[in-house]
Amino acid sequence: MNTILFQLSGALATILLAFTVGMFYGGIRRKIIARIQNRVGPPIYQNFLDVIKLYSKDTSIHHGAMQHMGPVFAITASITSLMFIPVLNGDGWFWFKNLNFSGDLIFLVYMMVFGSLGMALGAGQTGNPNSAIGVTRGLSQMVGYEIPFVMSMVALMAQFHTTSITGLMNIQMQENTWLMFSNPFAFIAAVLAMLGMFHYSPFDIVHAPAEVASGPVSEFGGKYLGLMMSSGSIFAFVKLTLFVDVFMGGAANLIELVIKTFALYLIPVLYGVVSPRYRTEQAITYFWKWPLFFGILAILWASF
Amino acid sequence: MYNDNNAQTIVEYIKNFTRKNSLFMLAYGTGCGAIELPATLTSRYDAERLGVRGAATPRQADLLLITGYLSTKTLKRVIRVYEQMQDPKYVIGFGSCTINGGMYWDSYNTIKLLDKYIPVDVYINGCMPRPESVIAGFKELQRLIAEGKADGATKYKENLDWYRENQKKVLKNWPLVEYNW
Amino acid sequence: MKTSFIKEELLFQQLATAFENVVIEIVRKETVFVYASKEFVLPILLYAKEKLGYNSFSHLSCVDWIENDEFELVYIIWSPETKINLFVKTRIDRQNPTMENTDMIWRQINTYQREIREMFGIEFPGFVGEKEFILEDWEDVPPMRRDFDTLEYVNDTFFEREGREDKQDVRERIAKRSGEEIPDFAKKYSRE
Repeated sequence: MNTILFQLSGALATILLAFTVGMFYGGIRRKIIARIQNRVGPPIYQNFLDVIKLYSKDTSIHHGAMQHMGPVFAITASITSLMFIPVLNGDGWFWFKNLNFSGDLIFLVYMMVFGSLGMALGAGQTGNPNSAIGVTRGLSQMVGYEIPFVMSMVALMAQFHTTSITGLMNIQMQENTWLMFSNPFAFIAAVLAMLGMFHYSPFDIVHAPAEVASGPVSEFGGKYLGLMMSSGSIFAFVKLTLFVDVFMGGAANLIELVIKTFALYLIPVLYGVVSPRYRTEQAITYFWKWPLFFGILAILWASF
Repeated sequence: MYNDNNAQTIVEYIKNFTRKNSLFMLAYGTGCGAIELPATLTSRYDAERLGVRGAATPRQADLLLITGYLSTKTLKRVIRVYEQMQDPKYVIGFGSCTINGGMYWDSYNTIKLLDKYIPVDVYINGCMPRPESVIAGFKELQRLIAEGKADGATKYKENLDWYRENQKKVLKNWPLVEYNW
Repeated sequence: MKTSFIKEELLFQQLATAFENVVIEIVRKETVFVYASKEFVLPILLYAKEKLGYNSFSHLSCVDWIENDEFELVYIIWSPETKINLFVKTRIDRQNPTMENTDMIWRQINTYQREIREMFGIEFPGFVGEKEFILEDWEDVPPMRRDFDTLEYVNDTFFEREGREDKQDVRERIAKRSGEEIPDFAKKYSRE
């Protein structure tokens, strides 16, 4: 069964699943925002319409080679990170096992940065000043949220002596508990860092349309914008599934996965709807206060 | 079998359906009409339920909304913004000033007829048009797109010389750059 | 009841002692006009700013007196202590319109001078500012002059939608409706 064809079809199925779920979550988010603002809001399949329209648009903008590579880098990074995420736990549906190895948690922490870097390269080539400001803001914010996130991951790895996601999932299954209960401080630090990872309000300083004209993507139209949107949807699924795998014991089937990821997804969405936008230095200060404190607590909890 | 007319029709239908239900709008708000747009987009009239949402830059936009009068100085920028947009693209002229000059009929610095300079798909009448009229305009544009009649961009490409001649008549010493589309 | 003009009278005295060849008029409460010839404008503005405390510059505008073949420049300055608006008015020749540059007193005069240079064609020798302000590559008569025919320019330059032939100058009709008389100088440049 372990043929290359089998692996490839599994990978394709995973990408399709991630794309669909991410897109629907985006649509549900737009609906939630609309309902909270007392509007009817777009239908929840609106993001699909947007993406299909964007892919059917002409795209004839040329600023240089890197401009064409940037969106490709972004979606490559998203798909590569997705390949290292175990979608279901235990002997779940065999298609979604993908390319796990021991040590993939460390690899993922690096891989999740790669997409932003690719986008930064592409945006830099366009020469749009708004893109440059947006990229600077994005990298600064990344420095903010990566530190508590990495601290919480390091705490987990040190506590359970494993650097593999499947290892962490197996531990949770054996001990019949979730890591969000056995190391609560790591969970709090990681969730606070996740608020920044999603780039939703109040941490939407990168894409703020009123300030920097949508930042890094301001010079990307048509198919490139469609690529960026697809990449964002897949990456949202990656982040949510990683958190479910690490902290909530993974999911035995797809329905459980959807329920758990959606519950987790509501945290950044609902927190974002009622919050105005931070300034750059406020966002970084935010991450270097309580999330960092909880990150240190998590490491202490793991050591003693 | 794959290239027969039915398949083409189905693909065109799907394309037009997504295009009409997902309009990224760039509001060129130099005129007074820009004040009607917040009401159109927010809670009371909620244009997002029709799929209309704001785009931040011309590269991302499908729909250029010209709200009110255009002076010759802003016309230059409008032409540039229009040419930077990616096909397929649509233009809505908004308010009497874009239709026939409105109250600026004898102003030395305001163009009177927008569709001589860039192709306009839908005009919204009024001074100012209320959000209901704006949404009616969006609906009309959606009907045109669904029927495949909103082809201003193609017209612009075909009759580029004619449009350039008209533009040069107003913008005498202004270099009109050929943008890629 | 007679309004008292104590601070206006004081300003009148101060200006009258400082400058001889100016006409000063107290128009109403907190409004004083000074009519001066063009070389006295700079000293009056400087004196009012440095000695009398008129340190807020409100406006610089221009009026086209085409009948007298003159432009009138109006400098409006204001004092936060006395709350008086001081209008310094000067007339300059219309055929060769030049005026002294005054933007060293208040920097914001620079912007007004750019506008007046563009809209009326008045030159300010020695003044540094971008040539183009609101209009870009304008080749005609400066458009705010009263001998510039707007309608003719519009008919030459712009297209016109059919069905607007009924557009016309309605000033006379409005004047008749409200029972006012249009003065002769306005009729002369009316478009009928």
